[in-house]
Amino acid sequence: MLDYVELEADLGEEERLIRDTARRFVDEKVRPDIAEHYIEGTFPTELIPEMGEMGFYAPNLDGYGLPGVSETAYGLLMQELEACDSGLRSMASVQGALVMYPIHAFGSDEQKEEWLPKLGAGEAVGCFGLTEPAHGSNPSGMETRAEKDGGEYVLHGSKTWITNSPIADVAVVWARDTSAEGRPVRGFLVETDRDGVTTNEIKEKLSLRASITGEIGLNDVRVPEENVLPGVEGMKGPLSCLTQARYGIAWGAVGAARDCFETARRYALDREQFGGPIARFQIQQEKLAEMATQITTAQLLAYRLAELKERGDLRPQHVSMAKRNNVRTARDQARVAREMLGGNGITADYSPMRHMANMETVYTYEGTHDIHSLILGQDLTGIAAFE
Amino acid sequence: MMKVLVTVKEVAEVEEDFEIEGTGIADRYLEYDLNEWDDYAVEEAVQIAETGDDIEVVSVTIGPERCEETIRMALAKGVDRAIRVWDDALAETDLLDVAAKTRILRAVVEAEEPDLVFTGVQAGDDSFGATGVSLADAVGFEWAAVVNDLDVDAVLDESVARVHRELEGGVDEVTEVDLPAVLTIQTGINEPRYASLRGIRQAQRKEIAEKHLADLGLDAEAVETDVRLTEMYEPESESDATIFEGSAEETAAQLAQVLREKGVGAE
Repeated sequence: MLDYVELEADLGEEERLIRDTARRFVDEKVRPDIAEHYIEGTFPTELIPEMGEMGFYAPNLDGYGLPGVSETAYGLLMQELEACDSGLRSMASVQGALVMYPIHAFGSDEQKEEWLPKLGAGEAVGCFGLTEPAHGSNPSGMETRAEKDGGEYVLHGSKTWITNSPIADVAVVWARDTSAEGRPVRGFLVETDRDGVTTNEIKEKLSLRASITGEIGLNDVRVPEENVLPGVEGMKGPLSCLTQARYGIAWGAVGAARDCFETARRYALDREQFGGPIARFQIQQEKLAEMATQITTAQLLAYRLAELKERGDLRPQHVSMAKRNNVRTARDQARVAREMLGGNGITADYSPMRHMANMETVYTYEGTHDIHSLILGQDLTGIAAFE
Repeated sequence: MMKVLVTVKEVAEVEEDFEIEGTGIADRYLEYDLNEWDDYAVEEAVQIAETGDDIEVVSVTIGPERCEETIRMALAKGVDRAIRVWDDALAETDLLDVAAKTRILRAVVEAEEPDLVFTGVQAGDDSFGATGVSLADAVGFEWAAVVNDLDVDAVLDESVARVHRELEGGVDEVTEVDLPAVLTIQTGINEPRYASLRGIRQAQRKEIAEKHLADLGLDAEAVETDVRLTEMYEPESESDATIFEGSAEETAAQLAQVLREKGVGAE
């Protein structure tokens, strides 16, 4: 795959092996059927435990059987997964960054011991409940409530656009604790088989079709107070999870864009018109040159992010810039690749249009493109446009 | 305590379009990977180790430093430690024939004293396919070639390799081989695993011992070879295909003419 300024030449052996094993797994186990899953609107759920065995869920965390790989290796993994399909990377992002990360960072020892091994192995599936029907870009306006009642909390509210909620065993639900002073946002581990929990699937999406999406309905759901994540209060709980997941998206988007580029380059060299391959035309060469340049720029940003994250200097705003830029790049370049494939490009036989449609979701979830503009605007001026 | 030695080789895989330079394929068209048959041999050895207690799996490779990454992948899949034989004398050799490989591997077998040796049936690049059996002969082990099924319990409980061998015409031969033995492993005997991220991490702490010929009690004479690679070329493909171009009417007329010339059909 395109690596124009040879960033991969500087990878350590462990990182190269992780890239290679992920690429092989995806090529042999996932890629052959992914277009069909996309068309059918299904996720290859039989792969969930196999991905667990591979160590694809939260491999950058330590302990509880997790391998604790470098942030670069984690990024490379996300890149390989999303080069196949954003749905595959979303599975790993949600399970790892949005469910296992908060349990690892804010959970009690009992919570960690109960959930991290199962989630890491893919024996249990988790989901992350933050967004609500009336609260998307402004999650702090959430209406979901948790009220203390003896040794229990009673949860009430609804969450939507929740990846994997219909197949999840446990949901990390963020709700306002109305019995505590200042009604802080707290995280709750809600097993989906509890009374009052519903997880309806959202069907007929036109994007990210190889991924299961749903709602979480909480109708006076009782959970013991041991299910509260003890280590965090306030919006920094969910937002810190999103920073982890967005880091994976910044890498993953590069993977999708590289797959589009390689598909377009191969096609341009094979496709003959006017007596030769269309790659000999300047108009196609300009497209490839621009695509390669944009992708390389995005790739550089991802690698720099890994360095900052590894040494503890990564700020959420850095991640906003990379998520914003890299997803936009993938979205734009997927369309250029589709153009180069002509009529064949609109079929499921080729990946670019699938990536292109997926990128509409990725552009919007985990902080929309515009919200990341405002986060950067606030960081650059000191003035928050959204307050 | 039981020991399984697996011989593994990094092979060159050639891209679709390539150029020949001298007696080899230009390096820029090559990618290196573990020999396909060896992947199955590694898996079989690791499965034995996982089934029994106190079983060590050691891999041995003859190859330059470059192949450590390929060896590391085998370590990540469960091999316990690795030996890599390399030497200036080896670096200077263009072609290592079966006899030379046998001399080197024999020295390793004598040092390690394994109960079982697994080799791939053949190497994907030079397709010699004789090293395993030649090695068995040299070290005086029993052997079975082209093994596509092995009864792991019989290995552990009875010290016997009960194997199925794939013969021509879909015939399956069942043979019992006493240990110590060399088995050459056929693809399809198992389903090789992928290296997990945890395995890759653990492999970083496993040993790859580099051995020179002198460490094995050998000298440069051991790699002298009676086989010389004299030439490498792409055979001209003889194709009798004729492609008719043009409209249906034109191509039909061309086809009719060919058929007439060949004397096919009635006038």
